[in-house]
Amino acid sequence: MFGRYLMLRLLLAIPTIFCVAVIVFVLMRIVPGDPISMMIPPGASPDDIENLREIYGLNKPVLDQFLIWLNGIAEGDLGRSISLKLGVGQLILNRLPATLELVILSMGIAIFLAVTASVAAIRYKDTLVERVLDTFTGVAQAIPDFLWSLLLLLFFGVILPLFPITGRLDPSLSFDPITNFYFFEAIFTFRLDVVWDLLAHLALPSFALAFPLAASLSRVLRGSLSEAMSQDYITLAQVKGYSRLEVITKFALRNALIPTITLSGVQFAFLIGGTVLVEYIFSYPGLGNLAISAVVQRDLPLIQGLILTFAVMFVITNLLIDLSYALINPRLRGR
Amino acid sequence: MPTTSVFKISSFSIFVIVLLGFAALFAPIIAPYDPMAQDLKNSFLPPFWLGGTSEHLLGTDSLGRDLLSRIIFGARAAVYVSVIGSFFAALIGVVLGLLSGYFGGALDALISRLVDAWMSFPSVLLCIVLAAVIGPGLETVIVAIIIIDWTRFCRVVRSETIVQKSSDYVSAAIIGGLSPLKILIKEVFPNIAPLLVTLLTLEMGIAIVVEAILSFVGLSSSHIPTWGGLIQEGRLYVNQAWWLMGAPVFCIVVVVLAFNLIGDSVRKRIDPVLRA
Amino acid sequence: MHTFDRRRFLKISGIAAAAPLAGSVLFSGCSKGSDVLSIAYNVPLPSWDPTTGPSSVNPTIQTYYKAVFDSFIDQNPDLSFKAGLLTEWGWNEDRTKIKMTVRENAFWHDGSPVTPEDVVWSLERAANPESGNPIQFVWSKINNFSISGQEITADVKEFEPTLFKWMAFLTGYVMPKKAYLDRGAEAWEEQPIGSGPYMVEKFERNAYVRLKAFPQYWGDKPEFETVVIKMVPDASARVAEIESGGSDLTLQIPYEEFNRLSSKGFSGQSYPVSDIGMIFISNREPMLDKNVRLAMHHAIDKKAIVNDLLLGFGTPIDTLQAPEYDAFESTTTVGYDLELAKKYLAKSGFSVSNPVKFTIQTTRGYKPKDYEMIEAIVGMWKQVGIEASIEIYEIAKHFELRMQHKLAPAAFYNWGNSIGDPSTSTGFAMFSYSPHSAFKSPEVDKLIGPLWGEPNEEKRIEGYKNVDRYIADEGLVIPLLQYSQPVVYRSGLSFTAHTAGFILPQNIKSA
Repeated sequence: MFGRYLMLRLLLAIPTIFCVAVIVFVLMRIVPGDPISMMIPPGASPDDIENLREIYGLNKPVLDQFLIWLNGIAEGDLGRSISLKLGVGQLILNRLPATLELVILSMGIAIFLAVTASVAAIRYKDTLVERVLDTFTGVAQAIPDFLWSLLLLLFFGVILPLFPITGRLDPSLSFDPITNFYFFEAIFTFRLDVVWDLLAHLALPSFALAFPLAASLSRVLRGSLSEAMSQDYITLAQVKGYSRLEVITKFALRNALIPTITLSGVQFAFLIGGTVLVEYIFSYPGLGNLAISAVVQRDLPLIQGLILTFAVMFVITNLLIDLSYALINPRLRGR
Repeated sequence: MPTTSVFKISSFSIFVIVLLGFAALFAPIIAPYDPMAQDLKNSFLPPFWLGGTSEHLLGTDSLGRDLLSRIIFGARAAVYVSVIGSFFAALIGVVLGLLSGYFGGALDALISRLVDAWMSFPSVLLCIVLAAVIGPGLETVIVAIIIIDWTRFCRVVRSETIVQKSSDYVSAAIIGGLSPLKILIKEVFPNIAPLLVTLLTLEMGIAIVVEAILSFVGLSSSHIPTWGGLIQEGRLYVNQAWWLMGAPVFCIVVVVLAFNLIGDSVRKRIDPVLRA
Repeated sequence: MHTFDRRRFLKISGIAAAAPLAGSVLFSGCSKGSDVLSIAYNVPLPSWDPTTGPSSVNPTIQTYYKAVFDSFIDQNPDLSFKAGLLTEWGWNEDRTKIKMTVRENAFWHDGSPVTPEDVVWSLERAANPESGNPIQFVWSKINNFSISGQEITADVKEFEPTLFKWMAFLTGYVMPKKAYLDRGAEAWEEQPIGSGPYMVEKFERNAYVRLKAFPQYWGDKPEFETVVIKMVPDASARVAEIESGGSDLTLQIPYEEFNRLSSKGFSGQSYPVSDIGMIFISNREPMLDKNVRLAMHHAIDKKAIVNDLLLGFGTPIDTLQAPEYDAFESTTTVGYDLELAKKYLAKSGFSVSNPVKFTIQTTRGYKPKDYEMIEAIVGMWKQVGIEASIEIYEIAKHFELRMQHKLAPAAFYNWGNSIGDPSTSTGFAMFSYSPHSAFKSPEVDKLIGPLWGEPNEEKRIEGYKNVDRYIADEGLVIPLLQYSQPVVYRSGLSFTAHTAGFILPQNIKSA
């Protein structure tokens, strides 16, 4: 039963990913300007240029070019970066772990903040606390993550220099990991100095990403919490003599969390592609930063590969979320 | 939330938006100076309450340009891109959403796949890429807003159209022999209009942020000051003149907050589930 | 107050966190000791091959190369020449041959000795058009090398008066023949091998490079065992880096910040460097109109820019020669004259109400106030009837576009010329066959052409002064100012300013 559902979902994801590939390709071809002109070395002769066209398949009809590109993707070959002169796939795989670590930490912080704020707001309903929290949530949501980054950078870079403001790991720490998941590897190899340094570097960018996210999560959580609070079983619990905080955390929260988790999943998928500016501002060596330099260098193969990667990750993340629901809640499978 | 609080918040929003619209419309009249006029001898003047003069209420920037005038013209740029950008994003989204929801079948499948695929693109990166290839300018910002945000409208309008289609009055109209076009315009569209207003208000806030992002990476206009551009310029001098960055950040936050709150309260009013 | 910095704080808390669990980790935790020097640099390094590719002629990235590689001939901080890997060099009587002696006690970072074969291979590779050396046409003027002991002789195909100057300048580096050929270009980028004072320990693209002192280096041992160069293109991030204690030294920050940090207990030096700010003009519309070009130049108040915007740091110039260069001529001036600018524009039918329009490209945060300088200039132009839109680009992009002759009609750039020769300023910037020229003019070619091989030094310099005069009269380029380079570092360091603008970690000591 579950196997069939899995197959169905996978089959549905294929046309979406195909569609993604088509859009990426078309967008990059309608771009004015000849991609080859960006690759010509100085003093290249017309023969050399023709040769380059040949190598990149740019002398063929557009449809053939598309098929060549698709074929490459299918074989795991995303082409070569023009500016960095390395394989696009390799570049992306090197940077992906950094972004994933940032996104996971941000999500964790956001959920923590959202739950704390919502519980507090319901616990202190109709008091000054609720009003203050309301204002904070509103403002936190109105400040986009890149502005949060700038504000944090100002505050912690200059006024209260507690955290490092650029990079991922202090370059003078001698740490030579096998994988690029520095954080997990440092934990497993008991390099607590590295773990600490990584966390210090992650602090500012992840809070910048977490604040607006926490605000939108807490709005949803607040809604479902206050709905849950009007249910019969809550009244029953209150009658039984549980304190208000206990009622909220033990009974209401458990039921109210489901819509929030749904939203978190969707937000997580958005977050992977949304770290671009934050990574750029904090010089964090993830995919987003790579993307900005690719754009600045007009490095078409790299941009193309990056957008495709982000999109495919989005589709896969959503797929995983759907599947995990189906696993938890078999009733949904029929849909 | 008590109704009084919603009312109060809305009046804040209305105040902000009226002010914004006023500043945008009459920028050349109310701005005390040409926002691009430089005076290198009078750079970094502080705002009047920090020891500056009444001639430059918010002080001047590193090239001696009047900050207040730049903020006012920045409001104009913000309104320009958000109104036009949101309108066309809505137009494309509504048309495709109506068609997809009403006709269903292969057309619906095609449009839905397209929307799914489109939504999976990282929007910030996509608009930076677009702006980079089209070249800097306010029109670029508008194009970016349209391209990344039409799907928001399309999805909502599609599902709402499906709901409307199964309603009695649409069935009656179909039996009455009205053409699909007429049904869509006369029956379906008026019923989704309130929803559209909510989406549009929220979109305005988003559009202002998109503009700020693109100016921040240097892909907006260089002919007219924009809030994002002011932030980018001001952050270099935060230690000399914090207000250069403070003022535009304040404007963006207040305006986005105002649009968000309006969006919220409209949604509460038209959505009985949420209102309860 | 700043001595209790973030780094120490983190280190202490790091130890506190680690101590109860793993004692053995403790010592590696405090790796960032006083023997580590951390530099926040303004330009990322695109490639570890200092001799090929468009960026190899970018003067600002030579800092990286000078730490890892040796040039054929080196320069002192005052730009006088000194021995590099070559200890002696010179022409024969009739200038048909050159003779060079290779240092005996030099080693590559992999431990093998530097041989005359390496030097010959490097020179032949540089001369080979297929290698992609942008200065190939200088290197190709010698061939037919022969080696005897440590001595190399070569035939001169065509006399090039600046040949030995080039050996201390852009792309004039010696590379290891065997190591390069064995590894191939791609692996080279991961782990280059030079013979300089530092070897590359770890290179994280667009992030940082960690250098370790090379124990077998032939010259003086650098004081700092480990040097970290962080690539921070954003000027305000560089300020924050130094202020938060994340870096020990940085450069190219706004002069306001330079003054503020200097008064806050940081040390600072701002010194004139062999680097000028200029606007390249390309020969395309609307720049084919001489009136427009001259109006652009006359409408710029360079004095106001230097005094008011750059707080007096810098020297206005009207030719591509800074006052210290060999062919500087104080009588060649252009002058700020708004009325004259308007008159020129009127001749071509342009006015404030009917402005001439074009795009100007500029970097942002690469040089102090680069973007604002262009904003200021665009503002000045606006008053006479020139409407320019600003497009921001990265410095690496500038090099690519320039080589493809695809710059915007006007493009702001800085031209470094650490050897001070007119051929490497006016010559390379204006001679149309040079891949670095923007405005291609046959008249200028006629003037510069004979100067390339001119054996009479006095005549050669005079010739270039004439070219500069002609260029100023025709308005083929807009020189703006000679830079003063601001460098800020934590107290307790001693830094030797290098007139070429290089930040050489080997020359930084603890005070």
